[in-house]
Amino acid sequence: MTASSSTPDADRLARVALARITEPGHVRLLDLVSDSGAETVHAGLLEHPDVGPRLAAVEPERELAAAARSGLRFVVPGDDEWPPVLDDLRTAEPVQERGGVPIGLWVRGPVRLDEVGGSLAVVGARNASTYGTDLAADLAATVGQAGRAIVSGAAFGIDFAAHRGAVAVGVPTVAVLACGADRAYPVAHEQLISHIASEGAVVSETVPGGAPMRVRFLSRNRIIAALSAGTVVVEAALRSGALNTANWAGRLNRTVMGMPGPVTSAHSAGVHQLIRTGAATLVTSGEEALELLGASGEHVLDLPRGKDRPRDGLSHLQRQVLDAVPVARGAPTVSVAHVAGLPAEEVHATLLALEIRGMVEMTDDGWRLAALAHD
Amino acid sequence: MPFATAQTVSLHGAVGHLIDVQSDVSPGQPGLTMVGRPDATLNEARDRCRMAIINSRLTWPTTKRITILLSPADLLKSGTHFDLAIAMSVLAADGGVPKPTLAGTAFIGELTLDGNLRSVAGVLPMVLAAAERGVRRVFVPEPQAREAAMVPDMEVFGMRSLGQVVAELRGDEVPEAPPVAPMSGARLLSWRGEERLEETDMSDLLGLADVRYAVEVAAAGCHHLLLSGPKGAGKTSIAERIPGILPDLSRSESLELTAIHSLAGVLDPGQGMVVRPPYSAPHHDASKASLIGGGRGQVRPGEVSRAHGGVLFLDEFPLFRSDVIEALRQPLESGDVTIARQEESVTLPARGMVVLACNPCPCGRYSANPGANGCGCRSPQLRDYRNKVTGPVADRVDIVRNLVPLGPADRGDRFTVPESSTAIRERVAAARSRQAERFAEESWGLNGHAPGPVLRERWPLPEPAQRLLDDEVYSGRLSRRGATRVHRLAWTVADLRRLNGPGVEEVAVALRLRTGDPLLIGMLERAS
Repeated sequence: MTASSSTPDADRLARVALARITEPGHVRLLDLVSDSGAETVHAGLLEHPDVGPRLAAVEPERELAAAARSGLRFVVPGDDEWPPVLDDLRTAEPVQERGGVPIGLWVRGPVRLDEVGGSLAVVGARNASTYGTDLAADLAATVGQAGRAIVSGAAFGIDFAAHRGAVAVGVPTVAVLACGADRAYPVAHEQLISHIASEGAVVSETVPGGAPMRVRFLSRNRIIAALSAGTVVVEAALRSGALNTANWAGRLNRTVMGMPGPVTSAHSAGVHQLIRTGAATLVTSGEEALELLGASGEHVLDLPRGKDRPRDGLSHLQRQVLDAVPVARGAPTVSVAHVAGLPAEEVHATLLALEIRGMVEMTDDGWRLAALAHD
Repeated sequence: MPFATAQTVSLHGAVGHLIDVQSDVSPGQPGLTMVGRPDATLNEARDRCRMAIINSRLTWPTTKRITILLSPADLLKSGTHFDLAIAMSVLAADGGVPKPTLAGTAFIGELTLDGNLRSVAGVLPMVLAAAERGVRRVFVPEPQAREAAMVPDMEVFGMRSLGQVVAELRGDEVPEAPPVAPMSGARLLSWRGEERLEETDMSDLLGLADVRYAVEVAAAGCHHLLLSGPKGAGKTSIAERIPGILPDLSRSESLELTAIHSLAGVLDPGQGMVVRPPYSAPHHDASKASLIGGGRGQVRPGEVSRAHGGVLFLDEFPLFRSDVIEALRQPLESGDVTIARQEESVTLPARGMVVLACNPCPCGRYSANPGANGCGCRSPQLRDYRNKVTGPVADRVDIVRNLVPLGPADRGDRFTVPESSTAIRERVAAARSRQAERFAEESWGLNGHAPGPVLRERWPLPEPAQRLLDDEVYSGRLSRRGATRVHRLAWTVADLRRLNGPGVEEVAVALRLRTGDPLLIGMLERAS
């Protein structure tokens, strides 16, 4: 908040102007800005026959003032609030001709972007099933409670569920929009987005007032992936936009995770494909996502395993003898030895050891299994 | 002529027969003969009536030969409510009351030795039957006058004693008498349940979006429902809120249900007609007779009939005895229940919505999540349990839902305000009236009751929707019976959406409801 509240510097103004005349994720322009600086690119473009006049017509101070009135701030590289993780985009390979470090991000809400490092992105199908939305909400709540912010796109389905889960347990959540950060899209989620704007952060690369064009969703996805330490895909069909986010997360060397559905469900086919090709790691719960996100040794989970059984700790010989002991009517040591095919002395000693463990008992007729060994 | 006739009603299930009680009091060897197939309880009536008449300071023809005929004579008769009619016919035959006053009048009530009346079960169906046969005037025990008065165009006299009845008929001043005790064995156990249910509302339940929608569909079309899930997932909470989203009973349903409650002896006459859909949740120890109906003497309606027009909830249904589960097949399919006994076969209405609940395993602690799995069931137990879950009764269920316990996200949900039962009930009522309009000419009124062949013939699915259904059948994922159920469900989904008929999208919703697959959130949004 250093520069934006006082007099805006030349770099910021150049970025505001450039943002106004370009589409988000314009790889060539963004790379130029990253390499030569915004002011140089701004000055160069003013000479351009087509773009020059449009660029000259922008009044960046007024834009900033208007944005501030709608509660927006413009966060640019070099600001204290600028999350360094976004700089990873500079070297990442473009996807569908979109890429690059954003010129700046318009932000609405109290949560600072530099404080959401280590966050988890939760993305997935718009027309998700209730199975998927329940999973996503609980995943967001569990990861959120462990102190990580939840990033998503405020869309229908999984996105909404992820934000809802985070809000339910009162942890910060960040909504990255494809339209301007002053708008609410989809309109049905106005309540959600304004809640996030008052307690989390609503972020967009698109200039204020910008419409949610289709292409802007693709460039938006890269911001979601870049802002977070890992991305979980919950329910995505084969052509889902969530796979685009996962693709970006992979390119940015973030942890990519997938929550599976029934193998027969077309709504999870995209997730299954990610897992099958090795692009994503399968997770079934928030705890498992935390384990993958954490530093080595953090959140380590016990391997899931079945219940311990009384027979678990026995040696091979003991098991062999135990198998030969009758269930109901007792049998003498010799007969047990005969069934087990082992020498009688060895069997006798083993039976005594098993008796101490409570696995066999002596009756009038001889040895039989104790209740403990029935399992 | 020393001969008189008084009328009363004999009940066989919910069917009533008008009975002529004829008495002949003639000179001859003193004594009393009762003919016309009375059973043991009815045979005792002779002693009750004699003492009641004597103790009412009326004249019992001790020195004459009394013959009583219960006509038609071939019908087996049972019950204590014949007392009043027997006493009246004897008195009239002997000149104690004017014979013409008995015409067009039915007498219902049990007598005590001091001449007072006692309440009897089944007054409403008896009076209904009497009205149908042209009777315009009834005498009933005082506490049951309101029950009898539910029948339109009926002149009802609520009386406390035999003396009062006689005085009324003679036109004398009606004497004082002690008030009649209410029915013995009135509902002692369910009083708490009834009041508790009135306080529950769908808005109490967090999350469960999927199940809430499924329940709405079930209520709108009267489709049977199976809820599966571990302990604490909310199966019972959902089930006991279903009556709250059902609209009031129709006039005929209300009369049927009130008659059933009267037969079962659980009607609270102070409450008037039963207009709210009932809720019945028998425990899994329940016997076949208590669930289906039966008992000795008069047939007592079982829980399936007492839930007529409402909800029959069978929690832990795989733990019910096998013969009890098997016996549920008929009411599930046809909406009535036939109780066959040695002498008679009685059919009672049982058109409630059946809600079955089961756990994933007998102990209820199973979870697919290994960390949360606390199941200690052995595999034979598991196999038995699952066989029952997938047995013929579960196959007659339309909607299957799998519940999971609430997660951390549901408790603090800020953006989903759970709808109230009233809001849901309005949509259910609207969907039901669409069905009533469509089936106006038919004998049923709801999609869940529509016979499959008629539905396919007269209300078919459009070509692409039918193809979707056929694909499921050909691939073996759905049985033919299942396809019919999906067809019915698709109509209900369309009715809730105020469409003129189901399309591909409605069939897709119905398929998910039937197979237990989770619904897509887009499907839920179109619900409201």
